[in-house]
Amino acid sequence: MEEFIDKFNYVLVVILMMTGLWSMLAQNNLIKKCIGMAIFQTGIILFFISIGAKNNALIPILTETANHTYNDPNVNEVTNPLTQILMLTAIVVGVATLGVGLALAQKVHQQNDSFDEDEILNNQTK
Amino acid sequence: MIEHLPILIILGPLLGAVFASLTSWYRPKLSFPVVIFGLAISSLSAILIVFKLAFSELDVIHYQLGGWGTPEKDEYGIVGIQISVDYLNGLILATVSTIGLLTAVFSTRSVERELTGQQRYFFSLFSLLVSGLLGISITGDIFNLYVFMEIAALSSYALIAYGKGRSYMASFNYLMMGTMGACLYLLGVGFVFVKTGTLNIENLSQIIPQTLQNSQAVFVGFVLIMIGAWAKMAFFPLHGWLPNAYSYAPTASGALLAPLATKVSVYAMLRIMITVYSIDYVLKSPSIQSTVLLLSTISILVGSFFSITQSNLRKIACYFIISEIGYMVGGAWLANEPGLKGAIYHVVADAAMTSAFFMIIGCIVYRTGQTELKKLDGLFYKMPLTFVALIITMAALIGVPPTCGFFSKFYLIQGAVQAGTWHFVIALLISSLIKAIILFRIIEIGYNKVPNPAKEGNKTITREEAPLSMLIPTLIVTLSLILIGLFTDKLVTNFIAKALPEIPSL
Repeated sequence: MEEFIDKFNYVLVVILMMTGLWSMLAQNNLIKKCIGMAIFQTGIILFFISIGAKNNALIPILTETANHTYNDPNVNEVTNPLTQILMLTAIVVGVATLGVGLALAQKVHQQNDSFDEDEILNNQTK
Repeated sequence: MIEHLPILIILGPLLGAVFASLTSWYRPKLSFPVVIFGLAISSLSAILIVFKLAFSELDVIHYQLGGWGTPEKDEYGIVGIQISVDYLNGLILATVSTIGLLTAVFSTRSVERELTGQQRYFFSLFSLLVSGLLGISITGDIFNLYVFMEIAALSSYALIAYGKGRSYMASFNYLMMGTMGACLYLLGVGFVFVKTGTLNIENLSQIIPQTLQNSQAVFVGFVLIMIGAWAKMAFFPLHGWLPNAYSYAPTASGALLAPLATKVSVYAMLRIMITVYSIDYVLKSPSIQSTVLLLSTISILVGSFFSITQSNLRKIACYFIISEIGYMVGGAWLANEPGLKGAIYHVVADAAMTSAFFMIIGCIVYRTGQTELKKLDGLFYKMPLTFVALIITMAALIGVPPTCGFFSKFYLIQGAVQAGTWHFVIALLISSLIKAIILFRIIEIGYNKVPNPAKEGNKTITREEAPLSMLIPTLIVTLSLILIGLFTDKLVTNFIAKALPEIPSL
């Protein structure tokens, strides 16, 4: 149980990702699919942030001393900056994908007057 | 200048895309020459770098972005992004950039007709897509690979959605599947990063095979990355999005996407399998290996059987892609020398074959306006050169000797026999047989049914080829099918054999 509580953010990651994946695959509504996609990506972002985090760690900023030299930070006292930077990129990608997805859903709605996948398929095969 | 060649390969089309959209505010007609210029630079640098590689002692050419690889800036070489060209991706880069350039020339007229007034947006997206694909092929960093994958994917969603009508829904389905694949890939990268602390492919290739052979997390990462790549390349259970997406797209988008997008994903899979994890690692999980081989057999059969039920030439071509993906994944997972040779050779050969096929379809659409098989009667008498090109392409897809399709199939069958995977051999032969049936259907319709000119009130049959800017790229690609076949020996000994990793003998 203690281990479970220790790693509770990873449990949350799994729950988020499964919710998102289920919504992407099983929902009929195009907008709900887009929401599922956003939740799925959020789960992955949380995963990456979790693996870079450390107990009682500070933000990874070098402190300047005299003569313009920088203190080498103690790596045990700062979080891993790389995962955070990677996720900045992933967030940008996620926003762009969501934007394109919603734009396509809007176009489909203009044509078929519906967001429901079954109805759209019926319309198109007619 | 020479040392900056690797980055020029990506920068050409990337800056081309930016300037094409910027200059279009000032003068819309400028976007096309700008894009062509960017693609030409990229293609030229790719070919130069391939020759540099072939005539030097070097195994791999590195390029450090921002000078981050130098010892004083980056002690362990894990912060900066490295791009590298070796024998494996040099070939892919040359193929992708050359086909990109030819397709750009090819697509001018058909875009002019299908997307009147939107050419500038089309060409910026086109250039962006090519730079994404080249980025996937050249990068030496697995996270960077994800970013380029998404650049390519986002521009391809937009390019498909230009097709109007049913293409919106097809593009939406592709977006869902593509995003799921990319996210799973990213998750796999996360698992690998947790255990190794680096994203550089070269570092990973030293760490994983040596010290992390038995790590559960790295194994889960491997499976996730593979599933991600399979979703992107439309491997069997994840193939549902492909036929609609590629057949409802504008013909020019189809001609670019169909040959390149899936093949580059296959390259990504090969890179992860061969370089990052090593073939040893693949062979260590025989149950997964046999499952993947079974899936690729099913993929080949499904693609072939669906293609014969279709009445539309574009749909037939799309189902061919699914069966060809089965060839490549199967060949790679045979994990022996001829199998891998066949898979790498087939990436290049199939890019050329699919490109030729979709360009021919583009020519036919430009002149006749549709691709229903039964309406193509007497095609030989109306468009003789296009029809001959179609026959050559079909012959290459079947695997008739002088063309490249024969040699890839030869290597694949050799590998499958060596591994004792008989169902894969049978699937390859059945797929050839079905393609032969389709070839004879095309000959039956296009050559044996002589059209009656009197019906349209003409004395003779009007012979009208597609415009030269479409016909010439089509014929170049078609000829290259035979040329690649004739120079197979050189290609294999000089590049593909050197690209192979050390394969443990069983």
